[in-house]
Amino acid sequence: MAAMSRVLRAAAAWAARRAGGAGIAGNTGITGIAPRLPGTLVPVRHSSGHGKRMFIIKSTSFHDNRFLNLLRFYIFLTGIPAALFITYVNIFIGEAELAEIPEGYVPEYWEYYKHPITRWIARYLLDPPEKDYEKQMAMLDTEARKTEMRLMELEARRLMRHRGDGPWYHYETPDKNLVDNSPKATPDN
Amino acid sequence: MPEDHDWEAYKVPPTRTPVADRTTSVPNPVTFLQTFFTYVIDAPVTFVREWIERQQAKNKFYYYHQKFRRVPDVSECLEGDYLCFFEAEAQWRRDRMVDQEIVEIIRERLGACKQREGPNQFQNCAKEMELLAQVTKAYQDRYGDLGYHGNARKCLMKQKHRMMEERKAAQAKES
Repeated sequence: MAAMSRVLRAAAAWAARRAGGAGIAGNTGITGIAPRLPGTLVPVRHSSGHGKRMFIIKSTSFHDNRFLNLLRFYIFLTGIPAALFITYVNIFIGEAELAEIPEGYVPEYWEYYKHPITRWIARYLLDPPEKDYEKQMAMLDTEARKTEMRLMELEARRLMRHRGDGPWYHYETPDKNLVDNSPKATPDN
Repeated sequence: MPEDHDWEAYKVPPTRTPVADRTTSVPNPVTFLQTFFTYVIDAPVTFVREWIERQQAKNKFYYYHQKFRRVPDVSECLEGDYLCFFEAEAQWRRDRMVDQEIVEIIRERLGACKQREGPNQFQNCAKEMELLAQVTKAYQDRYGDLGYHGNARKCLMKQKHRMMEERKAAQAKES
């Protein structure tokens, strides 16, 4: 490895001598725009006062930054208006105060909440809890009646099958007057 | 977070800050810090808060605590009357939530008592400790061990078993 580096260094020096050979006499040979062989020396470009310009090799952060930018954009797109609206409501409208229910007054169902936005949602978007309650009770009642009817039907079927005196469980049988008893009429057949 | 409205239960004794008796001519740095705090932090914050409250006072509105009517209990429902069961179940759940809040308030009172008394807590907070023990035992007797699927019916059965045990214990004590 050391030998290889020595060989490379010798090759670089030979290439430099070859390239700079035309301009060694003058001092502007090397700074020309003629194509140069690799390994030649160029003057270092110090960008006045900021230090030597470095090409820093690192893995790409393009996708990461794009993702974060898009994430911030889409979060703030609705987040900032929502935050402003909620701040406005909290400052200028404020929360409700707790009070005793006045005599003879029945509060509306949304007047049981504190925050104005919750009250608005309860008033305009949701159903009153009494309606939900009554709907649940109506569903229960319907299902209870259905269960009752089904149980009664099963009981009726069982009894009619057992006793045979109901309109169900009638099976068509031929008339007994059509039966020809002649093959069995005498004992010797 | 339950808000306890009985401030008498939190017996905070009056502060016994002694009158300052100056013995040096060096000014007390605490007063400087107090004035700094007042002018830099307290006054602006109070001003903003009062401005906000003036804006909110223009249209006041109130909220109330809902009062529910009492409905027949599970023990008064006939078998197969599912509507009665439903209403009794809702009432039982509300009552259980109320009981949970009661236990929480009593626990907070005990905590406040301990904080207030400091090293004297074992002597001075005995009443609150006794009260908490009783209330927790009562809650455990009634609602404990019903499980996640506990409902009013299971609670009634638990009460029935409890009464049967009491009757057996009373009969065993008699004989």
